[in-house]
Amino acid sequence: MIDDLYAIEKYAYRESLVHRLDARIKLLVALAAIVAIVALPYSTKVYELGAVLFALFIALWATSRLPPTAYLRRLVLILPFGIFLIGFQVFVKNPYYDIFHTIATLPFGIEVYAESVQFASILLVKFVVSVSFIILLSSTTKMQEMIEAAGRLGLPREFTLTLGMMVRYIFVFADMFGRIRTAMETRCFDPLDRTLPYRYRLHQVGYTVGTIFIRSYEQGERTYTSMLCRGYGANAGLYIGKKPLRAGEVVFFAATLAFIVLSTVLIYLHP
Amino acid sequence: MHIPDAFIPMGQALIYWIIALIFIALALRWARRSMEEEKIPLVAVLAAGIFAIQALNIPIPWGTSGHMVGAALAAIVLGSPYAGVFVLTLVLLVQGVIFGDGGITVMGANIVNMGVIGGFVGYYGYTAVKNVIGNAYAAAFIAGWASLFISAILCAVELAIAGTFPLVPALIGLGLYHAVIGLIEGGITAGALYLIASARPDILEHPTGVSA
Repeated sequence: MIDDLYAIEKYAYRESLVHRLDARIKLLVALAAIVAIVALPYSTKVYELGAVLFALFIALWATSRLPPTAYLRRLVLILPFGIFLIGFQVFVKNPYYDIFHTIATLPFGIEVYAESVQFASILLVKFVVSVSFIILLSSTTKMQEMIEAAGRLGLPREFTLTLGMMVRYIFVFADMFGRIRTAMETRCFDPLDRTLPYRYRLHQVGYTVGTIFIRSYEQGERTYTSMLCRGYGANAGLYIGKKPLRAGEVVFFAATLAFIVLSTVLIYLHP
Repeated sequence: MHIPDAFIPMGQALIYWIIALIFIALALRWARRSMEEEKIPLVAVLAAGIFAIQALNIPIPWGTSGHMVGAALAAIVLGSPYAGVFVLTLVLLVQGVIFGDGGITVMGANIVNMGVIGGFVGYYGYTAVKNVIGNAYAAAFIAGWASLFISAILCAVELAIAGTFPLVPALIGLGLYHAVIGLIEGGITAGALYLIASARPDILEHPTGVSA
């Protein structure tokens, strides 16, 4: 995951209409889309809303002029745990249906149910739509902008300050992590190398974890001391300047939000 | 163990968010008051370090690789369960919003599972076992193992309540898998604690019983 850090941030630094859009709007639109698809009860209506929201996602992704492969690559990295949970569904009954019809019987008495396959596909649609909007958000918004936007939207300054610092140092530790990995490789040490005794490998990994812990703690001490020197106190916070929204941004936000809310309500109420 | 969006219905997800927010508020109060000085920046930088620790490939006996959570380690070293809550909340926020690992609506549940359970089981498991058997590293091992195992059990129960994964297979699957991964989390927690006690004993909040 840490290797993608730079790639994600590089995409976020590109230029396009979506990239230039105020981060508050992107944050709220992504949140609205995710809440809408999650809040819609498990039913076949999820397909309809999923298609509508995914079309919105594709339109925004196309406008951002990012390559489709960037999206697919990130999607593949996120999917495993969700796919494991979804794939398992087809073999079990769930409380959202009353009657189950067996469509296939496998050895060891394992049965595949039609309703469970449907439920699994509903979960998949919900999952992919939510993840897509997160990918869109983080591929088009710089991390620092996102934190400032969250602050402008009312996130308490304790969080904007800590998140701001954490995001800054994640890159420092990503570099450090890379150097540690290089150091391991130059010594021909691979934690997954099965020819080495297991206990030995675990010891080495344990020491590496301890080292990263100490080094990040020491970095924290240094940062904290230097902040104190510059007048840090209990009332300090991340500086977030005022940034009025442009008229076009307000119109876009109102229209997109209305689109998401209306399509959710209409699909929910439609018999 | 990062539950994705849609696997817990909205209503239940909100309940976990409320529980998580209570613990986050307590953790903020801890970072402000309980350490000798207000050290929020320090914990923020440490959270970035834990993020890097989670990126490390960790060998699992049957050949695949796993990842550490690190909540127990943070809680043990900094001497408070809230250290685990604080650090993991930051890590999960970044993982959820930037990487899409763990959902937004279910983030409350993930914070409860990994941060709250990890921190509390890690810290109190460590102090309790250390008082009984007297060996700090064995205590760290058991606490690290238990923090992960109980997190996984809770995760299984939450998915079962949500109706998106039946209880028994979840308990067997997630529980058994993490019972094994937990041994490694425990082993590495103990190993890292040993290194920290040797190199920087002053970092440890409660160094008694930890000897290099």
